Amino acid sequence: MKRYLKIFWLLSSYSIKTSFQHRLGVVSFLLGKIIRFTVYFFFIYFLVSRTKLLAGYNLNQTIIFFLVYNIIDSLTQMFFREVYRFRPLVVSGELDHILLKPYHPFLRILVGGIDPLDIIMLVPYLIILVFFILQAGMAILPVNFFIFLILMSNALILATFFHILVLAIGIFTTEVDHTILIYRDFARMASLPTDIYSEPLRFFITFVIPVGLMMTIPAKALFGLLTINILIISAAITVFFGWFSLSLWNNALKKYQSWGG
Amino acid sequence: MIQVNNLTKIYKTYEKSGNILTDFFNRQYKQVKAVDNISFQLETNTLVGFIGPNGAGKTTTMKMLSGILYPSSGTINVLGYNPFEKKPDFLKQIAFIMGQKNQLLWELPATDSFRLNKEIYEIEDNVYKNTVNELVELLNCQSFLSQPVKTLSLGQRMRLELINSLLHLPKILFLDEPTIGLDIFAQTTIINFIKEYQNRYHSSVLLTSHYMQDVQKLANRIIIVNLGKIIFDGKLMDLIKQFSQEKTVVITLNKPISQDFSLPENIEIDYNYPLLKLKLKKDEINHILSLILKKCEFVDLTIEDESIEEIIKKFFKKTSSNR
Repeated sequence: MKRYLKIFWLLSSYSIKTSFQHRLGVVSFLLGKIIRFTVYFFFIYFLVSRTKLLAGYNLNQTIIFFLVYNIIDSLTQMFFREVYRFRPLVVSGELDHILLKPYHPFLRILVGGIDPLDIIMLVPYLIILVFFILQAGMAILPVNFFIFLILMSNALILATFFHILVLAIGIFTTEVDHTILIYRDFARMASLPTDIYSEPLRFFITFVIPVGLMMTIPAKALFGLLTINILIISAAITVFFGWFSLSLWNNALKKYQSWGG
Repeated sequence: MIQVNNLTKIYKTYEKSGNILTDFFNRQYKQVKAVDNISFQLETNTLVGFIGPNGAGKTTTMKMLSGILYPSSGTINVLGYNPFEKKPDFLKQIAFIMGQKNQLLWELPATDSFRLNKEIYEIEDNVYKNTVNELVELLNCQSFLSQPVKTLSLGQRMRLELINSLLHLPKILFLDEPTIGLDIFAQTTIINFIKEYQNRYHSSVLLTSHYMQDVQKLANRIIIVNLGKIIFDGKLMDLIKQFSQEKTVVITLNKPISQDFSLPENIEIDYNYPLLKLKLKKDEINHILSLILKKCEFVDLTIEDESIEEIIKKFFKKTSSNR
């Protein structure tokens, strides 16, 4: 474990070194993130200020849903940025070298390219979240906060399995970019409470592609709106996704054709 | 050290019909045997040349031996392991170097990649320092160690690739076209290095190369594959003895050949004054040369062996006509 952490640390520091070599890229990336966040933030703000409630949630609560979504989304992008660079590795056959190293390949192709720019964005998200929690005058019970942390961790585990699924599909089809974009589009639907969607869409994005479980449910825990059933279902879905994505990955390795000579 | 039995690899590919719609909706698949039921073994401290034309199955075989590819059938035992299981203890004892693929961190100096491999392979500090110093000196690359990899020439990069792959002093080396695209100087450096490394560390090396001189300089045993099958497995010298029946005689003449001069019709002659080139069977050299020496004035005469490429070509020609 210590060795894995050391390798992870080295890979992360190299990734940070590489990212900061391109100054213009850093500035435009951060600017893009800030603009997207601000536009969507004000969209929600103006929308819910007029309607007062969105699916039963007030303005502050809706913004908290949005902020929790942004934190989870940033954390997943921060950890799994390397997945976005997976396709060239498969197409060129350079994945071969990674498969031959005496460590689990996920260390490199899944979490081997920590994105420092997403770490930077996490800071304002957290500050704004705390601000809105205070603004809402919410008295968060310790038990609810504890469940919130557990569900956040569960969201990251689910996101890990999603990204493993993307890697496996990448080996089968050499298609990564669109798969990840589909995931992100669905995830974005959960930036607002999933209660706003009608069935069967709500069921679909909660249990089939469980972005609702990942993004919306943790915020509900903060409000103390969860039942034990939801927690059990969350755990069961995570276990199922884990089994499914890892099985697919092992199968993909057997089918890997090592293109590029 | 390496034991391969009845190894086969089948790829599933689709046949293009030329019609985009048919190819999309009614795709016809075919199975291609990249490696067809091959068996061989490799002992410790040997250097084997694995040669054959493009698509013969050389790289696919090496990729199965290293555990990258899953075999369709057959068994492989490398150092007592099943390679596809990718046990760390196994992976720590092998290295795979591919001439056309880069494994160094592209934007950073090679030393960063070395440090990463140090941790990955759990190399102790003093062993790491000694190995890096030794390999850097052998390959003479001190001057560009701290430059970002993307700014290096192919030859410089290849030298660093070798160091990066050999830091853990592997027992088995798979070298797939390590000199591809390199100029003659870089090629010589790499070939000499491989030889030196193998002598020093007594590792086993399986080498593929389209440059037959590389194979000739390094390997005393060769395995020739074609269409996925092994068609020759033995000493290079045996192949040369068996298939090198001719020598090329090159004569630099002093005067043009006179009209009345003639040689037996079965001799291949290339005459472009002042050079006269003849391909002669080994047993007729004495006789033909005495004829020439009587009739022609010359300033230089050399007798050359057939190139290894020519010999391999002949071998392929013979084996394909026997089928």
